[in-house]
Amino acid sequence: MNISRRGFIKLLGAGTACYGLSRMGVDVAQAQTYAMSMKTAGAKEVVSICPYCSCGCNIIMFVKDGKFISSEGDPDYPVSEGSLCAKGAAFHALHVNEHRIVKPLYRAPGSDKWVEKDWTFMLSTIAKRMKDARDRDFKVKNDKGQVVNRLDTVMHLGSALMDNEECAVTVQMLRALGVYQIDHQARV
Amino acid sequence: MPKSFLNDTSRCTACRGCQIACKEWKNHPAVKTKQTGTHQNPPDLGPYNFKLIRFKEYKMKTRVEWLFFPEQCRHCHAPGCKEGADAILPGAIIQDPATGAVLYTELTKKFTAQQAEDVRVMCPYNIPRRDPKTGMLTKCNMCIDRVQAGQVPACVKTCCTGCMNFGEREAMLKLGAERLAKVKKEYPKAQLLDADDVNTIFLVTEDRKLYHEFAERRETPQTQYAGLNRQELLSALGKPLRNLLG
Amino acid sequence: MTQHWIDIKNSNAILIMGSNAAEHHPISFKWVLRAKDQGAKVIHVDPKFSRTSARCDHHVPLRSGTDIAFLGGMLRYILEKNLFQKEYVTEYTNASFILGPDYEFKDGLFSGYDPEKRVYDRKKWGFVKDENGVSKRDKTLQDPRCVFQVMKKHYNRYTVDLVSQVTGVSKKNLLMVYEAFGATGKPDKAGTMMYALGWTQHTVGTQNIRLAAMIQLLLGNIGVAGGGINALRGEPNVQGSTDHAVLWDILPGYLPAPLATQPTLDDYNKAITPKTADPMSINWKVNQPKYAVSLFKGWFGEAGTKANGYGYDWTPKVEPGEEYASMFMFDRLYKKQIKGAFIYGHNPAQSMPNTHKIRKSLENLDWLVMGEVHLTETTDFWRGPGVDPKKIKTEVFLLPCSHRGEKAGTATNSGRWQMWHHKGYEPMGQSKSMGQIEVELFHAVRDLYKKDGGVFPEPVLNLDLDREYDPEKVAMKVNGWFTRDAEVNGRKFKKGDQVPSFAFLTDDGSTNCLCWIYSGSYPEAGKNLSKRRDHTQTPMQAKLGLYPNFSFSWPVNRRIIYNRASVDVNGKPFNPELPVVLWDGKGWVGDVVDGGGAPMAQQGGKYPFIMQTEGLAQLFGPGRVDGPLPEHYEPAETPLAKNPFGKQMSNPAIRWIASDMDKLAKNADPRFPIVLTTYSLTEHWLSGTDSRNTKVLLEAEPQLYVEMSHELAKEKGIKNGDVVEIESIRGKVQAVAMVTVRVVPFKVMGKTVHLVGMPFAFGWTTPGVGDSTNRLTPTVGDPNVSIPEFKASLVNVRKAAKITEIER
Repeated sequence: MNISRRGFIKLLGAGTACYGLSRMGVDVAQAQTYAMSMKTAGAKEVVSICPYCSCGCNIIMFVKDGKFISSEGDPDYPVSEGSLCAKGAAFHALHVNEHRIVKPLYRAPGSDKWVEKDWTFMLSTIAKRMKDARDRDFKVKNDKGQVVNRLDTVMHLGSALMDNEECAVTVQMLRALGVYQIDHQARV
Repeated sequence: MPKSFLNDTSRCTACRGCQIACKEWKNHPAVKTKQTGTHQNPPDLGPYNFKLIRFKEYKMKTRVEWLFFPEQCRHCHAPGCKEGADAILPGAIIQDPATGAVLYTELTKKFTAQQAEDVRVMCPYNIPRRDPKTGMLTKCNMCIDRVQAGQVPACVKTCCTGCMNFGEREAMLKLGAERLAKVKKEYPKAQLLDADDVNTIFLVTEDRKLYHEFAERRETPQTQYAGLNRQELLSALGKPLRNLLG
Repeated sequence: MTQHWIDIKNSNAILIMGSNAAEHHPISFKWVLRAKDQGAKVIHVDPKFSRTSARCDHHVPLRSGTDIAFLGGMLRYILEKNLFQKEYVTEYTNASFILGPDYEFKDGLFSGYDPEKRVYDRKKWGFVKDENGVSKRDKTLQDPRCVFQVMKKHYNRYTVDLVSQVTGVSKKNLLMVYEAFGATGKPDKAGTMMYALGWTQHTVGTQNIRLAAMIQLLLGNIGVAGGGINALRGEPNVQGSTDHAVLWDILPGYLPAPLATQPTLDDYNKAITPKTADPMSINWKVNQPKYAVSLFKGWFGEAGTKANGYGYDWTPKVEPGEEYASMFMFDRLYKKQIKGAFIYGHNPAQSMPNTHKIRKSLENLDWLVMGEVHLTETTDFWRGPGVDPKKIKTEVFLLPCSHRGEKAGTATNSGRWQMWHHKGYEPMGQSKSMGQIEVELFHAVRDLYKKDGGVFPEPVLNLDLDREYDPEKVAMKVNGWFTRDAEVNGRKFKKGDQVPSFAFLTDDGSTNCLCWIYSGSYPEAGKNLSKRRDHTQTPMQAKLGLYPNFSFSWPVNRRIIYNRASVDVNGKPFNPELPVVLWDGKGWVGDVVDGGGAPMAQQGGKYPFIMQTEGLAQLFGPGRVDGPLPEHYEPAETPLAKNPFGKQMSNPAIRWIASDMDKLAKNADPRFPIVLTTYSLTEHWLSGTDSRNTKVLLEAEPQLYVEMSHELAKEKGIKNGDVVEIESIRGKVQAVAMVTVRVVPFKVMGKTVHLVGMPFAFGWTTPGVGDSTNRLTPTVGDPNVSIPEFKASLVNVRKAAKITEIER
């Protein structure tokens, strides 16, 4: 049987978790000032992957009542064996972060501020801009009369932040629209 | 049998995974810092920084040495801070006999700023810091919650090179001796720092003075007044207890 | 990476060059230190002493932009001291090939150069063929026109004396590195090279890596355990996003992008089918039409038929010889040729070179759609420093994106492991995954075409793309399935069956596959190999640290590529202690072997380098646009007035752009005497978007700094911690001086050359931390891949008269 290291640690944990300070001859009244259980106790464990460098460290997310409460390295990932660097260690802080954009934002031409808009407005307006550009600038043939079927006036950058599956659908849809000026962080 | 850390600085890359993991596990907020011409930041331990990589660089005879020191509480066998605190308010600082962890309780909030300062100077490594907001005296607590649940402290869990290790004291002493024997071949000045007296054992490759001011044990009232009983120590310290005991 | 992370532990010598591995790939050092524990020599060659250097046996400072000189000297040393692996070089590389009469190298240029167009005619670099069309060989390696002798002559100019003077590395250090790494030429020893952007971000980037690979081939270090040439990839999924071709010049699986000169699928297929007359060459790329057809079939589904080239006819074709990489895209935008842009998870206003121009270019957009997690210097370009929002007419749509933990899918690590990550919780606020956003946007456009019609609607209306983004289903299609009942390789399949691997893909429309190199990752319904977490190993695999049952590694779960070169011509491992594969008389054991067939010396034997047309590795590489042998050229901006290696100063095929905002300092420009190199650091990530906005990371590295030597600081009257101004011909930047013994002045051609280094993670949207370092760097690029030269440019430094960018 292939006992995972994570499983092994949990087995150990189960045996010792009940030993509170009181069992160790310490004044319980004082000792209770300390957390008697881990903040992650009872949380669901979900495996994710660190979104920084390509070491690809697997990370365990601890999720309680749908809330992401803590994270740490996954000992079952043979490359990292559960360890993480500074950025990986901040995986939770990266996600649960007050600086994040959580609503679609729109900036009108000439405006000096963002305005919150709903997704319907954003999708329909962007689709219109895209179709207008495509209908206006799509090139079936180049100057030499060769068939090129492309759109020269729209570009797409990013992203290495995308999953493989996201990349696959992105490339599929862009090439269908005739957008070929595509690039991402592979070059910077 | 107490637990010990072995921090083998010959393996530290100063990635600061430990420094961040500590903050994350403790839910410590970020503190505002400035770039002052060093990678060491924050500049010192604080109420929200129990773990800190200290950086020192030297041009040696044949090469540059960049020394990294993953600073934290040593969890002394006979903790000076506890001795000082006991003199003021017994139970404010406790020592877990099962792990050897030296723990600062909520009672430390009752210390005045001056009393907290008195406790701080009792530490030969200058570790305790008072949280000015809550008045609580703070430092590393060995992630006692994790250790009780059979896990290693957050910093050790995160360490990617095997610099930080944690386990039964005997095992750590053995590991330390093995590592030292190996490291000494490359670094003749390598040594284990105060291994007999502390549960956070550092393996350093150079003269300990080079790491930072308090990498050396400093003279403390505890060492100055060794052998005094509690009353004698208190009067030597000359600090009133009225506020607390009243 | 040719290897995977854990394999680093098997090395006897580790050369980290063009990488600061301990800082940027911290987990790699777990394995570097394990190799060191076993006695491996670990050497860091880099302009600056970093956290990597601190844990290496040796740090060797080198002037940025002189890697080819350094490595050329190593190649010369290996040949001179006879350290190369003879059998490997003779049998597995093109060392024995004879060069045609047109090849010549003179005055720093190869034959076939057109100085006006700055391009080479690569036909001049061909090999002599026999009557069957197979390249002629002299396995004694004595023919003066054989690759081995030509290469030897070429690098004979790279003497230790000259290399030392150009690179600024002491002769003692050069010889120490050459000796230590050269020692891995023994068949049972392996050396690995770990590189990253420090090699790629030069105008000679591709040739830096080629020369490294040439050395590894000479030493027999490719394909073996502990060997290889290991690109430490960057961004969370830059390996996967490159594999899936979020790029203009390729289609998924490294198929070339169709050209205007290839109007039909047949034209395209012909161009991507290399031919060899040598029966011993597997020439795997002969299969590319199957992968291309399956890709188009995957894109267009039922609507992709033989009549429309399975949809090939609908896809865009680019102009041959034209460049569309980001530096050129932004130039088109600057020249108002581009009107609309989509930018996802990318911050060019911070991370592209000459950001003054990038920021200015963005103002020319009619509309900009951005998918982001945070506000960045790009999302908010319209209110950046010195910009009056009232004058910016760009309409900006900012779409909130969910983070990794809020979505499921796969990412690929540097060792090519495709790994599934699970969704932990619901996306924050109204954020959505980038995949979901892209799909919804496409359908919004398609709905308009359905309703109103429009120009060339066929590809839009016929695209086979679900309305809901389902990563599991896409993963199945990335692997590929049968679109109808079919028989392939003697096996019968039903419509809808998953393709077992790319060996079963067809060019008749009966299979689809969105990226052939990933085919085999989902070989049956319910069997998503990227989710595997099994540690089971054979004892042979355990010794190697090879985990064949953990996730999936492309291609076909091969963990070490080119592994067929790890054995001799009879299939016996060069290093019997650490075999990667071995021939047991009937078949191959160990890792999944490259190609198939018997060992080379046996009946039906095949050459080891199956992706090369000739089946052999290319010491002489006629495929690169800037020369078949790497040659030292100075960076586009250099402190030298002359290139000591030849008359040609910089890469003759260099990519650069003519515009009023693209200026270059002249050679040895007295106004800008200091070399600037840029880099990242452990606590931040590239442009800093994610890390600066994670406050615990900002706490550890709060503001922009510039690392400089004590000698330079003294010369300039700068004290540690002072705010200084760094100036190039393109702009000025303020930063905190970090005066350190870790940076040293270089002695180059008899004069002192100072170097300073700066991160580029700090930008104005985080108040008081500084702003883009890339306001200093030039838009010049490598001619093979158009990666900009971030690593070497010219600046000057002075104490800031007035502090404006850094909070004090």
